[in-house]
Amino acid sequence: MTSHMRARSRHSRLRRAASAASLAVVAAGTLALAACNVSEVLSVKDPDIINPNDVQSAAGASAVRLGALGRLNAATSGGSSGSEGLFLLSGLFADEWINGDSFIARQEVDQRVITPQNNFLTDVDRLLNRARLSARQAAALLKQYNPTGPVADVAEMYFVQAYVEDLMGEHYCNGLILSSVVDGVEQYGSPITTQAAFEQALAHADSGLALLTGSSAADAKVRNALLVTRGRILLNLDRPKDAALAVAGVPTNFTYQMLHSQSTNDNQVWVYNNVARRYSVSTNEGTNGLNFATAKDPRIPVCTGGDAACKAIGVTSKTRDDLTQPLLVQMIWPARDNPVTIVGGVEARLIEAEAAYRVGNYPLFIQKLNQARTEGGVAGLPATLTDPGTDVARVNLLFRERAFWLFSTGHRVGDLRRLIKYYKRPAETVFPTGAWHKGGQYGTDVNFPVPQAEQNNPNLPAGQSCIDRNA
Amino acid sequence: MIADQFRLLGRSAVGAFVLLASSAGMAAAQTGSLNGRVTAQGSNQPIPEVRITVVGTNLAAATTAEGRYTIRNVPAGTHTLRVLRIGYAEQTRSVPVAAGQSVAADFSLQPVATQLEGVVTTATGQQRAVTVGNAIAQVNAAAVVATRAVANVGDLLTSRAPGVLVVPGTQTGAGTRIRIRGTSSLSLTNNPIYIVDGVRVEGATGSSTISVGGTLPARVNDLNPEEIENIEVVRGPSAATLYGTDAANGVIVITTKHGVVGRPQLTYFTEQGAHVDRNDYPTAYRAWRTGTTSTTNSTTANTVQCFLTQSAAGVCMQDSVTSYNLYNDPDATPNGVGYRQAHGLQLGGGSQALRYFLHGEWEGENGVLTVPQFDQRYLAAHGRALLPEEQRPNHLGRVTARANFNMALSPQADIAFNTGYISQKLRLPTSDDSGINGVAGNTYGGPGFKYNVNAAGDTLFGYRAFTPRDVYQRNSTQAIQRVITSANGNWRPTAWLAARGNFGVDYINQTDTQLCRFAACPDLGGDSRLGFKVDNRTNFFTYTADGSATATRRLSDALESKTTAGVQFTRILSDRNGATGISLSPGATTISGAGQLTADESTSESRTLGGFVEERVALNDRLFLTGAVRSDRNSAFGANFKTVFYPKLALSWVASDEPFFPKPSWLNQLRLRSAYGASGVQPGTIDAVQFFSAATTRTESGDSPGLVFSTLGNRDLKPERSSEFEAGVDGTFFSSRLTTELTYYHKSSRDALISRILPPSLGTGATARFENLGEVRNTGWEALVTAQLVQRAGFGWDVTLNGSTNNNTLVSLGGVPPLVGTTIQQREGYPLNGWWSRPLIGYEDKNKNGIIEYNKDVTLSEVIVGDTAAFLGYSSPRVEAALTNGFEFFQRRFRLGAMIDYKGGHKLYNNTERIRCASRNNCSGLVNPASSLFEQARTVAVRETPSRTVAGFIEPGDFIRFRELNLTFTAPGQWTARAFHGQSLTLTLAARNLGILWTKYKGVDPEAFGTTGNAPSEFQAFGPPTYYVARFSLGF
Repeated sequence: MTSHMRARSRHSRLRRAASAASLAVVAAGTLALAACNVSEVLSVKDPDIINPNDVQSAAGASAVRLGALGRLNAATSGGSSGSEGLFLLSGLFADEWINGDSFIARQEVDQRVITPQNNFLTDVDRLLNRARLSARQAAALLKQYNPTGPVADVAEMYFVQAYVEDLMGEHYCNGLILSSVVDGVEQYGSPITTQAAFEQALAHADSGLALLTGSSAADAKVRNALLVTRGRILLNLDRPKDAALAVAGVPTNFTYQMLHSQSTNDNQVWVYNNVARRYSVSTNEGTNGLNFATAKDPRIPVCTGGDAACKAIGVTSKTRDDLTQPLLVQMIWPARDNPVTIVGGVEARLIEAEAAYRVGNYPLFIQKLNQARTEGGVAGLPATLTDPGTDVARVNLLFRERAFWLFSTGHRVGDLRRLIKYYKRPAETVFPTGAWHKGGQYGTDVNFPVPQAEQNNPNLPAGQSCIDRNA
Repeated sequence: MIADQFRLLGRSAVGAFVLLASSAGMAAAQTGSLNGRVTAQGSNQPIPEVRITVVGTNLAAATTAEGRYTIRNVPAGTHTLRVLRIGYAEQTRSVPVAAGQSVAADFSLQPVATQLEGVVTTATGQQRAVTVGNAIAQVNAAAVVATRAVANVGDLLTSRAPGVLVVPGTQTGAGTRIRIRGTSSLSLTNNPIYIVDGVRVEGATGSSTISVGGTLPARVNDLNPEEIENIEVVRGPSAATLYGTDAANGVIVITTKHGVVGRPQLTYFTEQGAHVDRNDYPTAYRAWRTGTTSTTNSTTANTVQCFLTQSAAGVCMQDSVTSYNLYNDPDATPNGVGYRQAHGLQLGGGSQALRYFLHGEWEGENGVLTVPQFDQRYLAAHGRALLPEEQRPNHLGRVTARANFNMALSPQADIAFNTGYISQKLRLPTSDDSGINGVAGNTYGGPGFKYNVNAAGDTLFGYRAFTPRDVYQRNSTQAIQRVITSANGNWRPTAWLAARGNFGVDYINQTDTQLCRFAACPDLGGDSRLGFKVDNRTNFFTYTADGSATATRRLSDALESKTTAGVQFTRILSDRNGATGISLSPGATTISGAGQLTADESTSESRTLGGFVEERVALNDRLFLTGAVRSDRNSAFGANFKTVFYPKLALSWVASDEPFFPKPSWLNQLRLRSAYGASGVQPGTIDAVQFFSAATTRTESGDSPGLVFSTLGNRDLKPERSSEFEAGVDGTFFSSRLTTELTYYHKSSRDALISRILPPSLGTGATARFENLGEVRNTGWEALVTAQLVQRAGFGWDVTLNGSTNNNTLVSLGGVPPLVGTTIQQREGYPLNGWWSRPLIGYEDKNKNGIIEYNKDVTLSEVIVGDTAAFLGYSSPRVEAALTNGFEFFQRRFRLGAMIDYKGGHKLYNNTERIRCASRNNCSGLVNPASSLFEQARTVAVRETPSRTVAGFIEPGDFIRFRELNLTFTAPGQWTARAFHGQSLTLTLAARNLGILWTKYKGVDPEAFGTTGNAPSEFQAFGPPTYYVARFSLGF
């Protein structure tokens, strides 16, 4: 065989082999696809998601419980990505915080002209309802899959529901909605009054308390949280005597806290005030506001951006995000991971004080306020309050004490509304009013509207946001 | 049940195919062969890459570099040969072939400006354009790249295809946004899909996992235009039906270069370019006042001012008004000159048995951002220096390589292997829409004078809070390693039967990082100066496997049938691991050196399996009727939905070829066409299912794993279905010197997937759920005119005009309430993503003090705002047009080209000016007594009226841009041979984006979008730079 013939032979073999490869490409794909099982080919498992079946166990129920506590954290002193929780937004609406950035939606809240499509309002509404739903799901799962587990875990889930429903009643207009998801299917709620929301909250608090018959530390902690919440709800229902009875056994040093950490669940007050500078502590906002920033009250230590105290906690900028001055910075929570007390024994004493005032027992009223000061754990706070002598002054004192003790913990809007509803003060004497600090005038809102997004609820009449916007 | 139907369809397809095949009766007969040479009329030069087909069979060949061709195994008998080549008029000739003989058939083709008889790539393979009922836009990429300043695929497509809206990126490495025939989907992607050499590839926009503002890369721009031979744009469902689910937004079909039979041809090319930012940026103003307290006295260290309305109200008195534009100050501007260079080598050639194309290229491009002079002085004075990557924070470095091989295994079989490799590293600065961290945010938000100082006493030179020396220290990178490989096999066992198979993978390894070293980057307070590192690594895989077979037969002398059946499988997978480290040790640049570590993982996968059958019948080679159906199943469909069917029907009629048609001398061809088809867009991979998500909760025992209910899912979820009708007329006139193309389209997206907002009261983690509810309609016209106005030996003048219109309407939301955003609303009867706000009804300086003021009393107020939000305009252009002129002179050795384009009929949200007026407090309308009443009115409306309306900042977006200018010199062959021993030499000088010739828009640039969403707005974004490029190419 000549070299030429050998080359031709090799070339021929190569062509045959390549031809076979070509056939393989054409045929293999076609036949493989034609012969395969369609369902198998299209079967995809996404490892990122947790199947609903996976929570149907004691461990799963426990994980959902932790999730509910995380949701509560986000709804209150935490927040979601890019937006804040209720405590900040509520304080912005009231006189605790003023706006320091350029977002129109935040400015609407600060100016008391909130539109239903306000995205921060919507975000907070979702955060609150997520906490509610998660707690409801966790309670059901714990009962079904861990019936012999700690009852405090289940009771705590009732506490979360009661606490959130009370917050919603305090902040929203008549016409708020509490929907749910049951067995994976949406159950749309209908508009209810704030009164109905408080009553639902009270029922959940009572359900939780009924479970707690033991005396373990966990039982005691959840019981106290439920009792203070129950007292708060009863105040909102204008039943101060019942409220005082509810909280009578709660020690003043009791705290139920939202915990924050360096890696997750940042303390959002610190984030938005100390770091992002979108919020600044308010002082005498809109004539009626309290002097939170300038009172030099040890319960609300405040520094001015760039001063020595602020630099000591890492706040070097003198200006807010919008470059206006001064930047007033709270120092209650000077770090990312500082915990926030959302329910505490001090509030129990304040409830007792209010009940005493309402029945005209002014010595007890003052005694309870001073007891809070003595046992509240704030150094340098003199317990030397005396009866100011007039009803107006007593009410002013009571609500000022509440405002300074409970700063930026979602109490102030509820208090201002109670001043209107039960203490008969005109709205324009309790909420910030007059010229707004960024131009224009304050609006007349005394509560949050139901968000526009709720229009997707078939039970909400088209175009309706609130039944009314009354306090 | 539906699964059975699906299988039935597949079996039916195979059955029909076999039946047709067996009935064809074309048993192997004795054969002969055809050969010949194709040359150009006039020059008699050989024409390579001419496609010669034997009509009524699958037999075909392409000419070599010498213009020669051979077709073997041609059945004995008389055949019609058809000869096609872009740029030349089609020819057909009847040729008798005798068994065992070789028949010569030479052709001489007439050059034309363009022609309708091209070849287009369809889902069933290459087809004559005249047989297809749609107008498929073509971009001759190789020609464009050789003569224009083209840096990426976005540049390649901009204003070159009617109905294709391209918004180019504004920074080096920035992405491109492409919309074809309007916006169809309310909630899903409106991006087209991309096919490269027969396989699906990733083309995502906003493709990054880290935040640098709105400017992010698009994966389509990874592709090197130098490697692309041709781009075809399949504009809508009527043409894209057989591409299946996902193709409703159009398909961009990219064919890379391949070798031409002939001796090796080596080409070296280089590009050297510079680009500058020639945009006019807004001037900042400051109104000074004198007072007795820190809150009433203006200083260089505070923000105390006296606004116009305050002045009018007597609250304060303006001492003076200063203005400063740092972009116009050489000392302060962050803009310098960006440089681009590229060097590449291409080698192509081969034999009939094996053709090859090899390409390798290195590119480097710096953006225009530099360290301002004052910052350089500051750094020098403080003994500091920025790292090289911080001195030029916007940079793209890329190496690309490609190896394409075409092997003719036998006259019956050939196979192609195409592999492209891309390695690129991109640095993007935190620029637009980055707030306090961004360069642009700091330039737009300046105080209106130069020597403002910060808390540390440093002069900011007109920047708002931080200067580039701080901002550039945030180092954001994206590294891409990408391989796109495909194998395409063709087998023609008989003259009437052809089978094709494609298999390919697009693999991307994407690493996104962001680094702030310890004690670097802007001091945002808290722990911001402790440093952080983000490192996210994602692998993307896109697999394509498809196969099809086509049977061609002549049913009679007049009637030809082509039946194609095929299956296709696509798998798209992304797999990400991310890690973040906060609080870095001094000197640390890795996550391992951080004090707090977090990690995350995510996976996404989608699979589609489809089958199709297509029947195309040709009557007398002038009437073509096509019917087809495609069926798909997809892993993302809901449990209650299995299979989707997409039908297609198309008609093409070359009326001018009919015997009864008048034959005036000026008419060469007239074609009428019409097509109907459907396609879809699939939902996301987990949109249909209900699930919980993991969430971390802080407890007394530390961070603990929890679970939260995430989403309800939707068991009935199915793909969004778009159906489209289009009709058009194409003409060729005056000896093919004028061609026209006119198309009307009507596209309707039913079962439109609406991201239905879930009521917050439900408490679900997801804020919305996809439901098939809505309907969106797009209608419009597209036109293309190409004319060779002058055609002489030494001089030529050609003109191309393309234009399109689009009317977009949200027909139905399916009972869902309007989706209301701050400035965007989705309402029935209005366009998708339209601009809405409470309108600025009027303004009048009633008290004649020269200042617009608001008053609660309507009779006194000088600005009037509507009570409710009103529709203000489209957010996307409704009309587009591009005019390209080309002049060839000096014996056509020089070619001068210019393109201007128009986009209009829409409005743009000048969000930059809004924030300057509303909160940066430095816009003219707020403080400048010389500002217009309108500027004042819109400022008062957004600041002082209870509506806080932004309507005054939603401005007409119409513009005419001088898009391209280029001059190319092609050296005579003798020169090249003498001087370089080469074959060809071309030199091109080109410029892109020479400026806005006319616009009503008051912002920086009507295409200054950092964002890639459906309604982008100019929000503290940079305008596009002007590129100047010199390109030198030498062939051996």
